[in-house]
Amino acid sequence: MLRLEHISKTYGDFKLRDIDLEISKGEYFVLLGRSGAGKSQLLELIAGLRRPDSGSIFLNGQNITSEKIQHRKTGIVFQDFAIFPHLDVYNNIAYSLKIKKLPKDETDRKVREMAASVNITHLLGRKPGGLSGGERQRLAVARTLVTSPDIILLDEPMASIDTALRDDVRRLLRKINSSGMTIMHVTHDYQEAVRLAHRVGVIHNGKIMQTGEPDEVFSKPVNKFVARFAGIRNFYRVKISCDKDKCYARSGHHTYNVASNGYGNEGLMMIRSDAVELSTEEFREHNCIRARITEMNRAETGYELYLESGDKYHVLLKTKDVQKYDLRTGQFVFLLLPPGEIRII
Amino acid sequence: MDKRSLFHWVILLLSSLVLLFILAPLLGMVFDTSAGEFFETVKDDEVQASVWLTLSVAFLATLVFSFFAIPFAWLMARYNFPGKRIVQGLVDLPVVLPHSAAGIALLGFISRDGLLGRAADTVGLNLVGNPVGIAFAMAFVSLSFLINASRDGFAAVPVRLEKAAMNLGASPLKMFFTVSLPLTWRNIASGFVMMFARGMSEFGAIVIIAYHPMTAPVLIYERFNQFGLSYARPASLFFILVALVIFILIRLISNRTNNSLQKRSTGQKVNA
Repeated sequence: MLRLEHISKTYGDFKLRDIDLEISKGEYFVLLGRSGAGKSQLLELIAGLRRPDSGSIFLNGQNITSEKIQHRKTGIVFQDFAIFPHLDVYNNIAYSLKIKKLPKDETDRKVREMAASVNITHLLGRKPGGLSGGERQRLAVARTLVTSPDIILLDEPMASIDTALRDDVRRLLRKINSSGMTIMHVTHDYQEAVRLAHRVGVIHNGKIMQTGEPDEVFSKPVNKFVARFAGIRNFYRVKISCDKDKCYARSGHHTYNVASNGYGNEGLMMIRSDAVELSTEEFREHNCIRARITEMNRAETGYELYLESGDKYHVLLKTKDVQKYDLRTGQFVFLLLPPGEIRII
Repeated sequence: MDKRSLFHWVILLLSSLVLLFILAPLLGMVFDTSAGEFFETVKDDEVQASVWLTLSVAFLATLVFSFFAIPFAWLMARYNFPGKRIVQGLVDLPVVLPHSAAGIALLGFISRDGLLGRAADTVGLNLVGNPVGIAFAMAFVSLSFLINASRDGFAAVPVRLEKAAMNLGASPLKMFFTVSLPLTWRNIASGFVMMFARGMSEFGAIVIIAYHPMTAPVLIYERFNQFGLSYARPASLFFILVALVIFILIRLISNRTNNSLQKRSTGQKVNA
């Protein structure tokens, strides 16, 4: 459907490097990356707002690398929505239809259908100035959808939306995607990717690091950067040695038992914060470590704890566990790092 | 009302002095002109012709040159290119030139020996002493007002809106007319009025290009030279009043156009 081959583009000091990407028809693809990673620049290249220095862009098998913006059939929804302030909601949606010189009654029908599908019929007579972030976004999506693009490119669609309204927007985007529309969505928010994507890609410093289904990418990150995006905070540079069917990872402070799985001599050991178990009594298992709590903070679903025992650990706990053990900063506790939860890359 | 500090009173006094400086000569002229002299001047064919010539040529010069100036202003707002500062300096140059010097420079260009003059001469048109020559002189000294006001307006339109328009299928030309231009309307109107006003009031460059036919500023100067202050005063007053009426009318029309532009884009179709 959409295929990028060896796309490169230099913007001053920043460079998009050798981007290869393929998105299938009807797919919801989320490209994750920090701000400045090159996500929006990539969308602009696909939409034709800029030309790549090298490489090719194919849409439905057709090379559109040099195609004019207005003929590309790639609808982009900008982060700030780029609503025309001098036109009311109706005329914003009707803009592309008027450009195409569609008959008035057909334009009117299409505008009303589109407005109804994104629930903004009641706003048709309003000027954009008075609309909320959510309403502006629905308008921007409707204005793009009415052009019947082959793919919609969403640039950080949740960035200007109140948290409370994000569920509505997600529902709208899922609905649009389930109607068969291919979507490429760029964001810095891992949660957005998990909730919406059929497939994800992670971009860093202008290079796509990994693509795949969310489970695959986040459970088997290829490097520390992708792992960080998946919320992993515990990383340890280790030397690995194996003895018969047992393998050990030595960090300099501790030796961890790890599942034997054909590692090299060195690697980066990682474990998710919610996979680390905690108790005030010693575990009678491998990888039990006595550590001191150095910091405790409230987190979304409980508490996050920072602990130290030579190596540093980040642990997520439910509120009831914190209350059960009556945990406090400075206290010594026991951590368990289950060997099956440890990954080495 | 709040108790004002000494600072506020000083500011008020200085501001009043500035306003008085502008108003005093004008009021002096009003009080020194009798109604009889004034109405006699208004009825004077020569005065009427010069005022009409001034207004019509200034308006047409502004209108014709705006077809070139507005796209140029968009270019200046949207693109960076080597030598852009020099180009901007050139745009501003006529404002700082002595206008008589501008007239001399322009005369060399539009006289029969000049490039444009020779071209005009081939179709039997002598630009010197001709309303077309006057229009050139007016535009030369006033064009930068329209270019700069329009450029500022275009620069204030987010580039994203133009990109969005093109992504929605608009060609660059359609994008310009449906997004860039409507959003810059106020700046362009303001620049248009400024250019028209500046052209209308020009004397130095025009007097060198065309003493005849006489524009109002040239006529006032000639009456002052030949007959003295009291004879030049009623013509000056008449010209100032006409200019005031014109500006008030332009402002009203411009506001009405803005309002109708806004109305056109609010819900009429929705209620249809």
